Amino acid sequence: MGMHIAHIMASCMGGIRTSGDLVAWMQMTRKMRIHEAKAYVAEKLGVGIIDLTDEEIMRDIRKDLGIGTVTSIAGGPKGIRAKYRIADLLGINIRSVALFKSQMGFPG
Amino acid sequence: MSNDIFASAADAILKGDSDKAVEAAKKGLGEGIDPVILINEGFIPGINTVGDLFGSGRLFLPELILSANAMQNATDVINAAIPDGQGQSRGRFIIGTVEGDVHDIGKTIVVSLLKANGFEVMDLGRDVSTDRFIEEADKFNADIIGTSALLTTTMEGQRRLEVELKKAGLKERFKTMVGGAPVTQRWAKRIGADAFAENASAAVKMAKALLEPA
Amino acid sequence: MSNDIVTRMGDGERVSLSAEEIREDIQAGTADAAQRGGIPELTAQEQEQLFDIIADPSRIVSVKPGEEVIVTDDGCTMSFYSGQDGGGVGAPLSRMQAVLTYERACGADTTSLGHSDYSYKPVKPIINFEANDYYNTSMMTTAPFFYGAQPNLGLYFQPDGPCPNAAELMPMGKIDEARRAQEEAAGHLTKDLVFVGSRLADVGLEGLNFDTSGSAGDADFMAALQAVAELKRRVPDLPILMGASGEFILGMHGEVEYAGTRLAGLYPQDQVRIIETAGADIAGVAINTATTESLPYNLARAVTFVKAASEASNIPVHANVGMGVCGIPMMEQPPIDSVTRVSKALVQLGKADGL
Repeated sequence: MGMHIAHIMASCMGGIRTSGDLVAWMQMTRKMRIHEAKAYVAEKLGVGIIDLTDEEIMRDIRKDLGIGTVTSIAGGPKGIRAKYRIADLLGINIRSVALFKSQMGFPG
Repeated sequence: MSNDIFASAADAILKGDSDKAVEAAKKGLGEGIDPVILINEGFIPGINTVGDLFGSGRLFLPELILSANAMQNATDVINAAIPDGQGQSRGRFIIGTVEGDVHDIGKTIVVSLLKANGFEVMDLGRDVSTDRFIEEADKFNADIIGTSALLTTTMEGQRRLEVELKKAGLKERFKTMVGGAPVTQRWAKRIGADAFAENASAAVKMAKALLEPA
Repeated sequence: MSNDIVTRMGDGERVSLSAEEIREDIQAGTADAAQRGGIPELTAQEQEQLFDIIADPSRIVSVKPGEEVIVTDDGCTMSFYSGQDGGGVGAPLSRMQAVLTYERACGADTTSLGHSDYSYKPVKPIINFEANDYYNTSMMTTAPFFYGAQPNLGLYFQPDGPCPNAAELMPMGKIDEARRAQEEAAGHLTKDLVFVGSRLADVGLEGLNFDTSGSAGDADFMAALQAVAELKRRVPDLPILMGASGEFILGMHGEVEYAGTRLAGLYPQDQVRIIETAGADIAGVAINTATTESLPYNLARAVTFVKAASEASNIPVHANVGMGVCGIPMMEQPPIDSVTRVSKALVQLGKADGL
């Protein structure tokens, strides 16, 4: 267990603390290599690549865009609601979101 | 001429060609080459090359088996030419995966390579209890008991064997060798095993070393 | 000569080596990888950078800001609640709690769910339970959420499965029979992988991980490749991560092919290409750690292989950094000093897209 946390601290983007989840989505859904994925996400967010792992910058961006923050905010989107917005923001298909939309009768 | 025979012996083993291996053995004996020299200079270099190629992913298990069979057939011919009691068996090796562990792929490779190198091997399979290891080793008159464990929890079976061998006063009779993914040299030392082998090639080297006269 | 740089052996033992000894081990490690894989050695400059990472006096090292990569989860969430065999700490958490803790408390880039056996075969009879847990949890997660396990061809051989045991037939010299048994088992495995993947896809599966593919040899790897291709045909938008299990594909069969390529003996730079050909979105590579060699030796080998794989690939390459792989020492609690050095080196020098 500690090994995973050590890897996260040493070289991980930080997940929903920053933008690691967003970059991971691009690798998964568009087969993007790391630099391409980061550039894509940075462009969508309107920030520099270095900012993608800057908690101070990403915290506000995530809060403003409603794409989930690591600290729990009452009323703040998280889970499927945040992913709904992430799919829209990045222009990608997230399969759980697609299922959710179909269940809710939202347009695909 | 000897060099040609040694080369064809090695080549036959490398190609896993039993007929050619036997032919080279007969030819070598027919030309008066000392049987021990024939094995050591011709066939052993061949099987060593096979082991190296297998260890680097350039030769695969079926070829290894064919080479092992070729080696076995050639050494049978050569041993028949050696006076009784001076044959070329490397030693008797009993092996199994410890109790509670059902992994056997790595062990299979070790068995194949040991056989290829002239050991008489009894494979007890997987999920083998400590008592059975000892009973079968006694019946087989094993020189070495080899145990494989793939899980950190089943490694304890290797320690148990050491404890039970000591209790039964048999520790001096059998050499022990341990292997398996989570097993290390330090673990072998800690439990009192005589040797640790990281892979099949290392198992052969360690087994040979264990049985060398002091 | 002073022995003042503290490092580790491949089994985790702490050792002090001189700078010269570390440089020699780095050179030997990269040379071994290059010779085995038919790939370039690390350059003198890269070797010196690796030396700096290893010799850093800090207990923990890390990549520079801006160089971070994705860390995909290969069963990590299970180690919150599982036991020793899974490297688990036995915390009293449910599966969902573990996933959300990993995402939110640890800041993981991706999370995952998997059966405690960590093989696909046992999932088949309980697929509805797994689909239910996956679906419910996926409604709560924000980061990408995989379902993952090992293909594990070994479970299809007697006495655990329906096929004659190839591992028993082969040493008896029954090569044709052993090969047929592996081919038959691979057919069953592919079907099960496709079955599980398809059923989970029905409940919104975000990503599927075929972890440690090829652990039972080339037929195991082939079955996983075939499953990737079939799943991509059936569910084209399903992201799939397929990871290998060793630095070369073990030739238990020796002749099976995929897309005209013999799989036995493929090294990482060729593994990633064939994974890409099958249609996977992310390729995983795993380099064996030698317990009797030092961290500098093992890490130099791993970096050399990973760099070659990364250069050969068009899809993201993630290096497996679990216990006993890619330079991580082979022990139940890999030391953090080694873990972070491996992490940094594989990203900075191995050019991995993720871990």
